[in-house]
Amino acid sequence: MTPAGAAVAERAGGRSGVPRWLRPAVITAGVLVLVLAPLGFTENTYIQTVLILTLLLVVSSSGWNIISGFAGYVSLGQGAFIGVGAYTVGILSRHTDVSPFVLAPLGGVAAAALAAVLGLVAMRARGHAFVIITIAFLFLMQTLALNLQSITGGSAGITLPLPTWSRDIGELPFYYAMLALAVLSVALAAWIRRSKLGAGLLAIREDEGKATAIGIRTPAYKLIGFVVSAVLIGIAGGIDGYFLTFIDPRGMFDILISVQIVLAALLGGRGTIWGPVLGAFLLQPLSEVVNNYFGTRLGIRLLVFGGLLALVVMLMPAGIIPTIRTAVRRWRERGSVVPFIEQPVRRAKPAAAAPPEEPAVPALAVRVSDREPVAERPPLLEIQGLSKRFGGLTALDGCSFSVREGTITGLIGPNGSGKTTVFNLVTGIVPGAGGQVRFDSRRIDQLRPWERPALGIGRTFQITRLFKQLTVLENVVAPLSHFSLRHLASGGTSGAEAARARELLDLVGLGAFGDRTAGTLSFGQQKLVELAQVLMLEPKLIMLDEPAGGVNPSLIEHLADLIRQLNRDGISFLVVEHNMPLVLQLCDPVVVLAAGRCIAQGPPQAIQRDPEVLGAYLGGDGSATQGLPEGSGAPQGGAPVGRGGPGNPRGVPR
Amino acid sequence: MKLAQTVLLGLLTGGVYALLASGLTLVFGVMRIINVAQGALLILAALFTFEIWRRTGLDPLLAIVVTTPLMFGIGWLLYRGLLARVRAAPEAMTVLLTFALAIAIEGFMGLIWRNVFRSVTPSYFASSFHVGGLFLPKGLAAGCVTAVVVLGLLYLALTRTWTGRAIRAAAENVQGAQLVGVSVVDVAAVTFAIGIATTGAGGSILSILQPFFPASHYVWISKLLGIIVLGGMGSLPGAVIGALLLGVAENVTSAYVSPRWSLVVFYVVIMVVLLVRPQGIAGSRLREDVAA
Repeated sequence: MTPAGAAVAERAGGRSGVPRWLRPAVITAGVLVLVLAPLGFTENTYIQTVLILTLLLVVSSSGWNIISGFAGYVSLGQGAFIGVGAYTVGILSRHTDVSPFVLAPLGGVAAAALAAVLGLVAMRARGHAFVIITIAFLFLMQTLALNLQSITGGSAGITLPLPTWSRDIGELPFYYAMLALAVLSVALAAWIRRSKLGAGLLAIREDEGKATAIGIRTPAYKLIGFVVSAVLIGIAGGIDGYFLTFIDPRGMFDILISVQIVLAALLGGRGTIWGPVLGAFLLQPLSEVVNNYFGTRLGIRLLVFGGLLALVVMLMPAGIIPTIRTAVRRWRERGSVVPFIEQPVRRAKPAAAAPPEEPAVPALAVRVSDREPVAERPPLLEIQGLSKRFGGLTALDGCSFSVREGTITGLIGPNGSGKTTVFNLVTGIVPGAGGQVRFDSRRIDQLRPWERPALGIGRTFQITRLFKQLTVLENVVAPLSHFSLRHLASGGTSGAEAARARELLDLVGLGAFGDRTAGTLSFGQQKLVELAQVLMLEPKLIMLDEPAGGVNPSLIEHLADLIRQLNRDGISFLVVEHNMPLVLQLCDPVVVLAAGRCIAQGPPQAIQRDPEVLGAYLGGDGSATQGLPEGSGAPQGGAPVGRGGPGNPRGVPR
Repeated sequence: MKLAQTVLLGLLTGGVYALLASGLTLVFGVMRIINVAQGALLILAALFTFEIWRRTGLDPLLAIVVTTPLMFGIGWLLYRGLLARVRAAPEAMTVLLTFALAIAIEGFMGLIWRNVFRSVTPSYFASSFHVGGLFLPKGLAAGCVTAVVVLGLLYLALTRTWTGRAIRAAAENVQGAQLVGVSVVDVAAVTFAIGIATTGAGGSILSILQPFFPASHYVWISKLLGIIVLGGMGSLPGAVIGALLLGVAENVTSAYVSPRWSLVVFYVVIMVVLLVRPQGIAGSRLREDVAA
């Protein structure tokens, strides 16, 4: 980036009060204009033509990058939108005398409308279906252009009006129109990358199920992403048609155009702002060279582009820009020891200081919590007769229990007793169960998965599911408690939300790690980030799936303190955990599942001695007299024996 | 009578389509890869058959014994040499790689055989049987019978051999298969090779049914995708059902509307099925698909 461009953008940004997160887009646009605007003034129309085609590729490739680079949904038919735009303008210009430049935006409208329809089809399924739909779309458009002769002229194509301006200025109007679109495309990509929409699209690419679990309405995101990725390509296609003055089905819907679009973005760097630009400026000249050397021998062109695409996918899948970035970073860090990522010592704030008796407790010592009885508090989460079968396996068999407000309820049981399935059904990640789930007295088992976090339900995963390539801060900001277009356009990591996210990171003790890539954190730290992420939703209930599993013992203590502190602040917890000492000191009451049913429920002391619970864990007949083992981790396996009444949880007498 | 004739031709075509689609659906079922290059490899096999027939006069349907092992070998090499390298990468990269392969193979075929229509025309090519007022083109009948036989052999191989059971086990549950001692990488290589081997037999049969040239592979991959989407992606019985249905639908559209619109049937089926019933007729709904 030139200093001048940056300065201009900086001043513009400062004066007009452009928000910080918008500045990259403004700067990007400024740089492109400054570099490319003078280039059009060449006398050589051949160079002008090559530049125009390059800019067309910049527009198309940047568009592709939004749906396929950001959201990870690969479109193999993106070139079809160029054809759609060109045909829209071509067909309209047969009936009106309006300049094709004026008609070109309608090409964008047509492309956006078609993308929306396709999006409706594609958004119900995952990536494979999207790939197939985009291929089918390209060929369907080509066939329609061939067959609907009365409208499209069939294989004879359409001849557009010739430009009306003086020959002295050559192709300049085309060049500047295309330049404007290219600048707009790149600025749009830069803006989206920093916005909530972009954060959501990246979250979908990294882990779509997790994105849903934190309240991101994924189908809407994908749909909007696809429409946005198509609209500027449609406009550019309209201008391209005017520039070529002749359009026909084979040329406009040539699959090689789509190959070049994919290749340009991949070569430069998929998911980066400048990747498609760099890729286009490398690829279009290469295309010209191949044309000049081998003329019209189609086979060579296909071999070159197909082979190049295969090579990039295999050898440099990240693309040039990310590869260089990594190399530069390595070079800078050469010789230096990679800093050990240490858990920063958390200084408890005075206000939130833990009660005096707590800090001294070693995490692994068994100490039964001795807080107030909880039986009379109103239920927050009620599970009634929940059943779920996976094929022949019954994961849950009429399970009922409730989580009362303000409690830290433990959920234990042998492996395979259905604990994680309860979580998946409450959050809606796994659908189609029998029984009812109520939250805050409202039935939620029919709600879509992304609607549930908004009610105040957050969950973490047994194996953490952070968006590993995003920064820690971006991860924490990602959750969305509501959905609106205005909200989508706002900055992703700025403003009040970012401040709140930093606060939460401080709370979990990871304030220093905000700018690190999430994947570089230790497993225990990732669990803490996941907790902060969930807190962003301001939940009433947090469901923790094995918070201590695989975590460094020193972090477990920290985690337990944190859970107690949040609980004092009014958040209820449902905790699945195998670390029995932790459960016994943290949770009250404790619910025990075995073979998909709730077999016992009550304060930890009672559970510890309950013969049925012991039977379920040890596979004995329930007459064992010893308490639960006090080492870390309970014995696992053993034949689960569920002896509680069906769907009839038995309270343990206190 | 016209309808009966059309449906008969559709079913015969569908029988051939079933074989062509079996490889694509098998590879998807086991490896979750949409092999966009399947159509290009099919045309390549047809061109091999053309070359064998032109040089030796060997009957194209007998050429299967050459083209099938040849395509098996090409499939194995493609997997070991290219696809295995992106196993760890996101699925998107695998799709892009097969897309790149499709383009490159088209270019290769264009250089060797040039972009002209070819067809293999053995003596029985243009004649027909006549049965009760209906006519049966000999080439299509022989092609359909051959396809059914090859498909039957494939089915036996998948159900009666250890390798076949390993393939199906890996399709069902990768971790489970690994637990009982199936090497998933080896199974993937063999599966891909078998999937490509079906284009050997399929390409040889195709060569006598329709003229083809390098860029025909777009038409064929579209048809095959339509078939496996309708049948349920990854399901072999589904592919057979989808092939028969679309074979009939294509012929009916050709006869009653116009041959120019027959291909549109496949595109429309893809869109409608993915919108209304993404798992197709016989496919199972993946757990990961429902959350979306």
